[in-house]
Amino acid sequence: MTKKMVFVDTSKCTGCKACSVACKEWNELPAEKTQLLTSYQTQKNFTTNTWTYMTFIEKYENQTMNWLMRKAQCFHCADPACLKACSSAAITQTESGYVVINQDKCIGCGYCVENCPFGVPKVDPIKKKSSKCTGCIDRVENNLLPACVQTCQPGALAFGERDAILAQAKKRLAEVQKTHPKAQLYGEKEMGGLTYLYLLLDSPEVYGLPANPTVPLSLTLWKDVVRPVGSVAVGGAAAAVVLGVFANLWRGNYKEGGKD
Amino acid sequence: MAPKAEAGNQAPPRIVGDQVLRFSKGERLSHWVHAVSFFVLLFTGLGVYSSLFQPAMAIVGGIHVAQVIHRISAVFFVVVVGLLFFVGNPRFHWRWLKFTFNFTKSDLKHVSAFPKEFFGGHGNYPAQDKYNGGEKINSLITIFGTIFVTLSGVVMWWAPHFPPSLVRWAYPVHDLSVFVMTAAVIGHIYLGLLHPDSRVAMSGMLNGYVSKKFAKAHHAQWYERLKNEQQNL
Repeated sequence: MTKKMVFVDTSKCTGCKACSVACKEWNELPAEKTQLLTSYQTQKNFTTNTWTYMTFIEKYENQTMNWLMRKAQCFHCADPACLKACSSAAITQTESGYVVINQDKCIGCGYCVENCPFGVPKVDPIKKKSSKCTGCIDRVENNLLPACVQTCQPGALAFGERDAILAQAKKRLAEVQKTHPKAQLYGEKEMGGLTYLYLLLDSPEVYGLPANPTVPLSLTLWKDVVRPVGSVAVGGAAAAVVLGVFANLWRGNYKEGGKD
Repeated sequence: MAPKAEAGNQAPPRIVGDQVLRFSKGERLSHWVHAVSFFVLLFTGLGVYSSLFQPAMAIVGGIHVAQVIHRISAVFFVVVVGLLFFVGNPRFHWRWLKFTFNFTKSDLKHVSAFPKEFFGGHGNYPAQDKYNGGEKINSLITIFGTIFVTLSGVVMWWAPHFPPSLVRWAYPVHDLSVFVMTAAVIGHIYLGLLHPDSRVAMSGMLNGYVSKKFAKAHHAQWYERLKNEQQNL
């Protein structure tokens, strides 16, 4: 399957939250008690049962209010930090670009939680499993639209081949920039390229997104330096000991109880 | 044997017959609690080192049981061993620390000549005190490895209470400490159990005493000092 992409056009979003409901319905995620947090926002963060939710930001500029809405979910990075951090080879990447957690392999260590630059995965402390948006991989691989895209009424979500969607997004950006000069795309290059590409009406920071998300340096150091070098060092010590025993045997040091 | 040698705060007679008291009861207890908990920790940690080891976690009842055992043995490794420092005759412990943090030229000579001895040859180095250069390095690795593995372990245990940027650094620090300590422990076991010349030192960690012959051959400076002290009593 070729690389897919979902275009989240926040300029068209009305904040109806139908995507969040569709996600819960398709993925059989129970509803959670919510309360009004700020503006129209009722979900503060991802939970093990909420894989997508709406953020609302009211930004005042020159006596006018900019109502910035964004559908939040896993971005499905091309270079996913969670996958690199996983202790159990439970996180994999599909050819289509989706990053999925194998629930059978997951042990709930939480390394993905700590290393995701967007704070997406959440571990259920009872089930000891990490979960997040699957990108509706089960639907996509059967030629259905992701549940959120399928349900979106104002047409803020579009799904398709990566190249085609990227071109569509760039065209749309040129259009939107006429009225929103700060509008920009988020996700073309970030984390190697995100599967969920955003058209934001303002800078990422305004939406609470990191401007330059990266795979944490500590993670690269851990998995690409400390682990391989450390493993070789321990193996080297073991090899030296085996060699030592044979050298002593060869020199006859074990006879007559050693030489003291 | 000669329990008097270990009790009290006076200088005890250290040379008894053809034996020399090397490690007090408190030292031996700390050593073995630390050693046993180290291996329990190492084993129960393997499941998150590589998924290849996860099936082996069935021995303790699965990876989530391993996690609990890991944390219980961590308490022994750190808290119990820490408290044991003050059990028995703490003077022995303090002296060990003093030796460990006093790395001399003679130690350096021992360390550079030791590889030859490690592989069964004969290294030339000056007479060593109670701890030779290699033993001091092993002690330093144990002390600093324990400190770093503990600090990072605390952060990992209570991860939600620490900022993610700190938790992320705890993982490489934890692993690095374990790699260094494991490499050291492999050499340590070899010298204690398998090396024809040095394995006779093992009795020092079992009943506390090493033979006079061993003390003279490997720690002449220490033996001579003890002998003089005992004569001047």
